[in-house]
Amino acid sequence: MDYDPMAMDDAESLGPVVKISQADSVRVKFELQNADISFANSLRRVMLAEIPTIAIDLVEIESNSSVLADEFIAHRLGLIPLNAEGVEHLLYSRDCDCEEYCENCSVKLTLHAKCTGYENMSVSARDLVPVGERINQSLGTPVINDKDGTGPLILKLRPEQEIKLECIAKKGIAKEHAKWAPSAAIGFEYDPHNKLRHLDLWYEKDPKSEWPPSEYAKWEEPPVEGEPFDFDAVPNHFYYNVETAGNLPPDGIVTEGIKVIQQKLAGLIHELTEGEGEGGYDGPRSPDYNSGPDTGYGYSTSYGGNGGNQSAWGGGGGTTPFGGQTSYGGGGWS
Amino acid sequence: MAARPDSEDIAMDDAPTSHQPEVKDDTMVDDAGEDVEEEEDYEEEEEEEEEEEVQRVKLLPGSTETAASFEFSNEGHTLGNALRYVIMRNPEVEFCAYAIPHPSEAKMNVRIQTFEGTTAIEALEKGLRDIQELCDVVTDKFVAAADDFEKKKAATA
Repeated sequence: MDYDPMAMDDAESLGPVVKISQADSVRVKFELQNADISFANSLRRVMLAEIPTIAIDLVEIESNSSVLADEFIAHRLGLIPLNAEGVEHLLYSRDCDCEEYCENCSVKLTLHAKCTGYENMSVSARDLVPVGERINQSLGTPVINDKDGTGPLILKLRPEQEIKLECIAKKGIAKEHAKWAPSAAIGFEYDPHNKLRHLDLWYEKDPKSEWPPSEYAKWEEPPVEGEPFDFDAVPNHFYYNVETAGNLPPDGIVTEGIKVIQQKLAGLIHELTEGEGEGGYDGPRSPDYNSGPDTGYGYSTSYGGNGGNQSAWGGGGGTTPFGGQTSYGGGGWS
Repeated sequence: MAARPDSEDIAMDDAPTSHQPEVKDDTMVDDAGEDVEEEEDYEEEEEEEEEEEVQRVKLLPGSTETAASFEFSNEGHTLGNALRYVIMRNPEVEFCAYAIPHPSEAKMNVRIQTFEGTTAIEALEKGLRDIQELCDVVTDKFVAAADDFEKKKAATA
């Protein structure tokens, strides 16, 4: 099994290359070369949906005499980007020892505004005040990037209307709810000239004149007229445009994204190698790994194997044809 | 998924777990008597407590040393496609594919068949480590490119 995954036969033998074409506080545009599309897409998907950030998850409304309904405001609050610097030191509430939430797994913010003047008043993200202990001074602070310095508008109040509430911001990922997305958008593109014909461009008369060239078209050789189609060609240059919502720096999204992939892999490798040594019920085992009074079905899965009927949690294990080891469970505990 | 009639050609034991009827297990447990059921209630509580240690990979029935199917919980195309690709690049691997059997079940299956020299589990582990290595390289390259970009920007400003 000795081969070098980086020493591959084609362009991949050169190893991946990253080129950055633009980088500022809101976006980073870069090109990934000599990687497979499957990896490029994994990176894109992970940046979109699996990077942990912080967002308001619980809202306790003390008084709300505004025209907007409580749940409407709660939803708007959830979508406000909060600074996620140092979120890696924050626990997920579900993993925390506390009852519901505490300073180890949440940030508390309060909002109290009353319109005392004669004109309608705007309440915006700036008015959300973080209170209590925090891991660092920026975690959970509303992101304010506009030139007025107010941040996103939450609601408006007429004279004498009042809003008073308390928010609990928690750590989460965008796979659970889009409010935890670190990126406003991720541009992903390859093969700007459509040489690989992965696209079937719609047109009225002539696709060339009707479809404007991509900004990356000049980065790659245009197709030569009359050139035969290359059936072995694979995409090799991937253009990303990562735009942040403000909670993480754009280059931080990329590095965090790769980190998330690696954590995923590390967890799986750990599980895989753990199970091998001790033969406990975690970790997959090869079919003939289990000797002794086993189920006799020539395989064992997560829950079975510890001596047939006394499987880890299938009391009625041995009575089912699968020893209580199917993914649907032996008796309704699935 | 409706339970299929018992007059199937293939024995149900051989079918992939996703195709085995759910009801079958329940009825079998009922036959086993009450004491078993009581014990099960107890086990059920225990299971809830231990929920944190959910297993993320398991070997599916019918697997052998060199030809195995794995089921990953809470994984999808993000890992599946990259893993499939990198495992397939291993010259010791004869076949590798992944599938998400049903979109509303957070499960991803990977099938690996290897030549004699190695086992499917080894190939899987190697695949995971290869992606890790690739991630390391891309991180390094990205950080270097970002630093470079910053330097150039500072020089022109």
